[in-house]
Amino acid sequence: MSTNTSGTSGTTPTDPGTEPGTGVSADTPAAAGGGPPRWLRGRSELGVCVLLFGLGLLVLFDAITIHTDFAQRGPVGPQAVPVLVGGLLLVVSLLLARDVLRGGHGEIEGGEDIDLSEPSDWRTVLLLAGAFLANAALIGVVGFPLSGAILFWGAAYALGSRNYVRDPLVAAGLSILTFLVFNNLLGVSLPGGPLMGVL
Amino acid sequence: MDTLNLLWEGFGTALTPANLLYAAIGVLLGTAIGVLPGIGPAMAVALLLPVTYALAPTSAFIMFAGIYYGGMFGGSTTSILLNTPGETAAVVTAIEGNPMARKGRGAQALAAAAIGHFVGGLIGTILLVVLAPTVASLAVDIGAPDYFAIMVLAFIAVTSVLGKSRVRGFASLLIGLTIGLIGLDEMTGQQRLTFGSLHLADGIDVVIVAVGLFAVGESLWVAAHLRHGQTKPIPVGRPWLGREDLRRAWKPWLRGPLIGFPFGAIPAGGAEIPTFLSYVTEKRLSKHRQEFGKGAIEGVAGPEATASASAAGTLVSMLTLGLPTTAVAAVMLAAFQQYGIQPGPLLFEREPGLVWGLIASLFVGTVLLLVLNLPLAPVWARLLRIPRPYLYAGILFFASVGAYAVSGQVLDLLLLFVIGLLGFAMRRFGLPVLPAIIAVILGPAAEQQMRRALQLSDGSLTGLVNTPFSIAVYVVVLALLLWPVLRRLLPGRPGATAPAAGDTDPAGTDPAGTDRSGSIDEERTRENASR
Amino acid sequence: MRLRNWLAVLGALLAVLLVPPLVTSGTGTEDQAQIGNLRILVPNQPGGGYDITARTAAKAMDDAKLTSNVEVFNLPGAGGTVGLGRIVSERGDGRLLMSMGLGVVGSVYTNKSPSSLQDTTPIAKLIEEPDIVVVAKDSPYQSLGQLVEAWKANPGAVPVGGGSSPGGPDHLAPMLMAKAVGLAPKSVNYVPYDGGGELLAAVLGGKVAFGVSGIGEYRDQIQAGELRVLAATSANRIEGVDAPTLSEAGVDVKFSNWRGIVAPPGLTPAERDRLVKLIADLHDSAQWKEALAKNGWSDAFAGGDEFASFLSAENDRVASVLSDLGLA
Repeated sequence: MSTNTSGTSGTTPTDPGTEPGTGVSADTPAAAGGGPPRWLRGRSELGVCVLLFGLGLLVLFDAITIHTDFAQRGPVGPQAVPVLVGGLLLVVSLLLARDVLRGGHGEIEGGEDIDLSEPSDWRTVLLLAGAFLANAALIGVVGFPLSGAILFWGAAYALGSRNYVRDPLVAAGLSILTFLVFNNLLGVSLPGGPLMGVL
Repeated sequence: MDTLNLLWEGFGTALTPANLLYAAIGVLLGTAIGVLPGIGPAMAVALLLPVTYALAPTSAFIMFAGIYYGGMFGGSTTSILLNTPGETAAVVTAIEGNPMARKGRGAQALAAAAIGHFVGGLIGTILLVVLAPTVASLAVDIGAPDYFAIMVLAFIAVTSVLGKSRVRGFASLLIGLTIGLIGLDEMTGQQRLTFGSLHLADGIDVVIVAVGLFAVGESLWVAAHLRHGQTKPIPVGRPWLGREDLRRAWKPWLRGPLIGFPFGAIPAGGAEIPTFLSYVTEKRLSKHRQEFGKGAIEGVAGPEATASASAAGTLVSMLTLGLPTTAVAAVMLAAFQQYGIQPGPLLFEREPGLVWGLIASLFVGTVLLLVLNLPLAPVWARLLRIPRPYLYAGILFFASVGAYAVSGQVLDLLLLFVIGLLGFAMRRFGLPVLPAIIAVILGPAAEQQMRRALQLSDGSLTGLVNTPFSIAVYVVVLALLLWPVLRRLLPGRPGATAPAAGDTDPAGTDPAGTDRSGSIDEERTRENASR
Repeated sequence: MRLRNWLAVLGALLAVLLVPPLVTSGTGTEDQAQIGNLRILVPNQPGGGYDITARTAAKAMDDAKLTSNVEVFNLPGAGGTVGLGRIVSERGDGRLLMSMGLGVVGSVYTNKSPSSLQDTTPIAKLIEEPDIVVVAKDSPYQSLGQLVEAWKANPGAVPVGGGSSPGGPDHLAPMLMAKAVGLAPKSVNYVPYDGGGELLAAVLGGKVAFGVSGIGEYRDQIQAGELRVLAATSANRIEGVDAPTLSEAGVDVKFSNWRGIVAPPGLTPAERDRLVKLIADLHDSAQWKEALAKNGWSDAFAGGDEFASFLSAENDRVASVLSDLGLA
């Protein structure tokens, strides 16, 4: 852990990583809202600092509530590492805040399929998250084959696929095939659905 | 050369048409199952155990060897193509392999992985033949202080993968360490960050963290910024490795086994830490450092060869000591016992036919793996040509199946989602994902070894430095830390850049690590309280 | 066009609902003597100890025609207590069993599990494995007496290794030994390792003063003379191992790791007896005897009430050790 301190020292003024053209500010909720004071604009990363600080507090709080009235050998108990991690989280959150206030930015991750020139498409994200969570909610009720198909079709729909014949059939085929491989070939049982045992 | 004779006879056993067939079936089954989400080689072997009941022991183990090697390679395939590592040893492969695949170099990445496995397996198995007795006697001398020293070295190495902004890299590292804290403290059984939930008592599986941060996080992030309109299909590119690729990959292929083999052979070794050390080493040594993170072939070739050689190393301690160092070895040990065979110091004397047949079949298995999978690489790579919505829907689908199938718990799906959201946020705010995953792997292992060392010395701090090996490692660590200072003092080298920490030579060092694969541990661990 | 869409959706829906049951239902014939549709919950992952026991038992039951199509499924987590919670919540289900063992007893305490084994219907204990007290061949301790003497003199300097986390079998055995020789369990320097294999290396390398673990992985090393067994924790000596029992060596402890079967609570006496009889029949079957021999397991069958009182005695013993340590 000795490296942590040595590493953080040389950070703040640097950050050449941020390319000006990535459209960071256009994408930040703070800028979109228009309400917050000027110095806060484009500084949504301060939210990250707050979260990290909160996480640090949580880890520290959890650490000090660990009972120590049990048999413990050695100078380092179950609290030591959490205290260290929690403390460092606080330190890093402050360092990150300093960095952000001095104009540093994290480099938003790009990629082949990623177009950073437009604002975030929250509708797609929500639909995708919905498909994922629908699977989690339904898997115990309607069984894996159906919920898995819903996940696949829902995700494909969210991402723009609109072939109403091919999509459901591909989803069902993939889901059934996966079910059979796990259930019948490998003996890893997945919930089969309400009709299991009825037919 | 007695050994050579025995090995020769072993080839006689392994190359009978029937056994060759079993080896081929094993490799194919292993690869196919390794490709399945959530099922790593350990579980593949466990699940296929009943299939082999009817076989003679020699044939069964020849098939296992095929399944083992095949399963490891299958895990890398999904890592590269879908960014969903099926097991911890393949986590590192995803880092460079997936960007390569997205650039249309999937076939090259898969070929680099396949050849890496071949070279790693080959060198590893040769080392197994030559060094088995020596390594086995050394392995038991490696203790907690030595492991901890290696972990410290690994943490120093971590600083080189922190990305462009160090403060953000450290933030990510600490997030990972926090995730690693969740669960029962292994030394005292105290709950940490479980909030009273039984489901969190075992901690969060590294594979769920990796799949969540990589695959789910990536899918959500892409969803938010999907390039609309004309999305050009991912080019398939040329099917084979070009001369430039070979020139860049051959050294990593050869270096990997030197890192992987010793780690596999020592107890608490495993494949995670050596694959990661191999990655860091290749990044350091490469002339194409700027390509790392964007699809550098060295970052696939090295770790894959490492993983494969560590698998061979695993067999050293299992066969000669009866000591399973990884989950797969534990399952194979159970398999041996099914046949009434107890691996250990007497195995080579008692069952020479079986042991040498098995070792010979390892050679056969690596060759088969290459022969079967190299031609398939371009075929697999075409998987990426399917339309984007299907591709990402499939990634989410398989990520979910992997998280759910093994535990059968909805909570794991929710955890996967939450970690996916974390991955999304980290991408949005420019926190690198890699340090978090490394911390999840390294953190708990380092803590456990440190506390174990201190406990063995009954609380004396000298317990951390009471072996020559650990002292040697700390000297290396100090040298690395002081190097920038020293360099600045040297005349004629002004403006020395950021600390050269992590510029390590792990081939010279060796052991460390702990198998956090979480899939199938040793039988006893399971039965025991907590974990 | 719209019709085609609806047909596709309908086809997909029917397929996902109908295909899995049709392909997996199997024969479905259930004659009077058999218990059909029995399911066994395994509270750890495929390949773990309870899993191997459950799958072996399931296969032997099917092969002996005691049952048809027993389904084994895994619900791992928190040392088996996640699966335990499930069993307890499936009140009155007479077609569900859970494979479990001593480890789960300890996990209930260390994980602060809301459900306990007292809530279940005990069916039978199947197998057991004694622990051994073992040192490396170059260890200064030639007998258990010498070891205990050194241990009592300075427990901190005599670290004991085990293959379980606190609460597990390898942890309980040395704690019970400590209590028997008059050492406070809290003073024991217990170092947990990830399973018997990792512990074996630590014992061979002399990292710990002595190890306590199941005999399983150690037989060969013992035979090769690399390890010296100072005592067996079981009531009787272990065949082929030249070592006294703890009692013979003057430490009054009898301890074995075991595995057994429990069922959900709220069963009628008839349902319970049917399951006890099933496992008793399994125990008598040639298939099970063969499986025992193949796996090297020692038969330790105890059915119904006998197992129930054994389970509650084990529970008390574990609870007292763990509360001494502040863990329960």
